[in-house]
Amino acid sequence: MRILFAVPALAVLAVAGCSVDTASPVRAAERFHAAIAGRQEQTACAMLARKTADKLPAPGQTCADALREAKLGPGGRPTSVSVWGEEAQVRLAGDTVFLHRFSDGWRVRAAGCRPVPDLPYDCEVED
Amino acid sequence: MVAAVRRLKDNALSLMFLILFVLSVCGQAVAGLLDYNDRQVAAGAEPVSLLDYVASSSFAVDVAENWQSEYLQFFLFIMVTVWLVQRGSPESKEPGEEGAESDEQQRIGRYAEAGSPAWARARGLRLWVFSNSLGLVMGAIFLLSWLAQSVAGQAAYNAGRLGDLRDPVSWSAYVTSPEFWNRSLQNWQSELLAVLSMVVLSIYLRQRGSPESKPVGAPHASTGVEG
Repeated sequence: MRILFAVPALAVLAVAGCSVDTASPVRAAERFHAAIAGRQEQTACAMLARKTADKLPAPGQTCADALREAKLGPGGRPTSVSVWGEEAQVRLAGDTVFLHRFSDGWRVRAAGCRPVPDLPYDCEVED
Repeated sequence: MVAAVRRLKDNALSLMFLILFVLSVCGQAVAGLLDYNDRQVAAGAEPVSLLDYVASSSFAVDVAENWQSEYLQFFLFIMVTVWLVQRGSPESKEPGEEGAESDEQQRIGRYAEAGSPAWARARGLRLWVFSNSLGLVMGAIFLLSWLAQSVAGQAAYNAGRLGDLRDPVSWSAYVTSPEFWNRSLQNWQSELLAVLSMVVLSIYLRQRGSPESKPVGAPHASTGVEG
């Protein structure tokens, strides 16, 4: 949830105003999975956060090769979304995707994620 | 001109603290921004502007957690000193004077004087509200600041959790989390220690000219005497 505190004094009033854009991260997660499903790994790579894209390929491998090798399953329809500050988590029927908002829009930080009790998600693709 | 200087001198104490407060908040904003952006870059995110930072939950929770503890400190001090005394402390009433005191001592109702506030002459709810207005306002600001801390804290905490690839938590889970109570208690302990120090040290130590101290020559045992 994006919470705007106009000035410190407004902190006393708790929440001055909330405007939550949940549609954009959901669209970004869906587009990413659509690219993977359409075997357009190069396009999917362009949707990754830079740190994730840099970390993904093994030496001598391209990002697209690494994504292909990761064998991400189908995303499916979105079931829930959480947006806090610049971070978002989009749950799809077949995957959980973590995104970060950059100046050019939402980018995928992690995908192919499975929950691990009390620990961070275990992700096939992550930064 | 003379009147303006006089007005300035008459309000010098408030003005000095107001100026120091504004400078400190600005300093906190700049230092906080540099620290925040350092962590942003390390995490592969983009640096944010000063405006974005002061509008963030991260800045809001840092401000609110300090505000709540300061107002709690003064609220407790105001309320507890009605009923509890410390022999020898200028911050305390004389032993034996515990309680809300008589109308005559408080100069209210029919004992109100010519210069007494209008609500001190009133009866019923108005008199009760005015008689407790300082504690009520300080207590209300404490509660609102604490609420703001919980709301902004949840937002900042959840952004961090998502950044760590973990699920976000609800508000009710956040206000029972170690993070929330660590933030609250680390501030409370320091405020309570500061009050304890003031109450006890002012029994034996003096600051010449300060109304927060007894006169330098006042006996250690004298209570409620301000210099």
